[in-house]
Amino acid sequence: MSNSIWIHYSRPRPHWYLLTEAEQADLQERWAAVRESAKAAGGSTQGRFHIRGQHDFQEVEIWTFPQTTDAFNHWSKLVAARYNEFFAFSNNIGLELPV
Amino acid sequence: MTNLTGDTDVFSSATDTGSLKASVMFLAYRQDELPGVYSEAHRQAILAVLGDLAEEGWTLALRRVFDLSADNNPVGLDTGFTHEHDIAGVFEAPNLEAAIEGTVRLERAGWARLFRTEWLMGVKEFAPVMGDGAITDHGWAFLALWEWNDQWCEATPVERTEYDFECDIAFKGDLAHKVNIAGRHRMDWSHQWHHLGAWEIGHPDIADSAIRGHEDVADFKFTTSRHIVGRLTPLAELIAPRY
Repeated sequence: MSNSIWIHYSRPRPHWYLLTEAEQADLQERWAAVRESAKAAGGSTQGRFHIRGQHDFQEVEIWTFPQTTDAFNHWSKLVAARYNEFFAFSNNIGLELPV
Repeated sequence: MTNLTGDTDVFSSATDTGSLKASVMFLAYRQDELPGVYSEAHRQAILAVLGDLAEEGWTLALRRVFDLSADNNPVGLDTGFTHEHDIAGVFEAPNLEAAIEGTVRLERAGWARLFRTEWLMGVKEFAPVMGDGAITDHGWAFLALWEWNDQWCEATPVERTEYDFECDIAFKGDLAHKVNIAGRHRMDWSHQWHHLGAWEIGHPDIADSAIRGHEDVADFKFTTSRHIVGRLTPLAELIAPRY
């Protein structure tokens, strides 16, 4: 089975800026825990990169997962933790080609 | 359960079979302007891959989503008369791995020569719903992609549930238009669009009339959407070589 790459673009939605710092920190902590659980399940990430200078999103995250469904499950956990409510997004999935 | 919102009067969750039922949508733009790019041999190779996919459990015809005894020969939407893309379509695949691998197999068989394609992959959330009269000979299809906007994201859970049931009024109106709704597919994990809805319709004007019902209940206060209409046509015809 080939690895899947998952590319995630994001930017805060306007009402993100209405939250208190404590509320933002609490949510960020929940999302960080989801990212850690994805790593524990075999995913790996290149990290988060700032791209606002040449894009209409603010950040991009690049992940690889053992299977495509792992990417779906990771995203579903972020959504369950309300990530999509506070960040606009665009996602891509890709399949590793044989060398 | 991976549904983004709860069941309503019209929609109920797709039966849980233990694994995710995947969907594959395509919007394809012909690019075979020159002789030698795409030939009958490529068409036959694509049809062979589609035959293999059918044997592997794919649903390649929209009608078969509603009726398992229906023919499974691949069907697409002829959309060039009103869209920039020439064809569109929706298949169902056994799982997400099969879905993305299937797109690569089709591309390599010759699809990439014929089309510049936007592939979208999703997971089926809601079961199909038959329109009034349960008519089965629709000649046309309507595809709707939509995403929730910032206002939906800012709304409370109660406001969102109220909104879902307001939209249900419009969906009941769709059923009164004898529209068959092939469920709802979740696309957000691999795209900017959150959802796909696929319908069988009797005529392209049905789509416009039905969408006016959605405007009446302010469906679009919380969503941005992209709508696609096409005549249901055998894919074997839609991928015929020009040269």
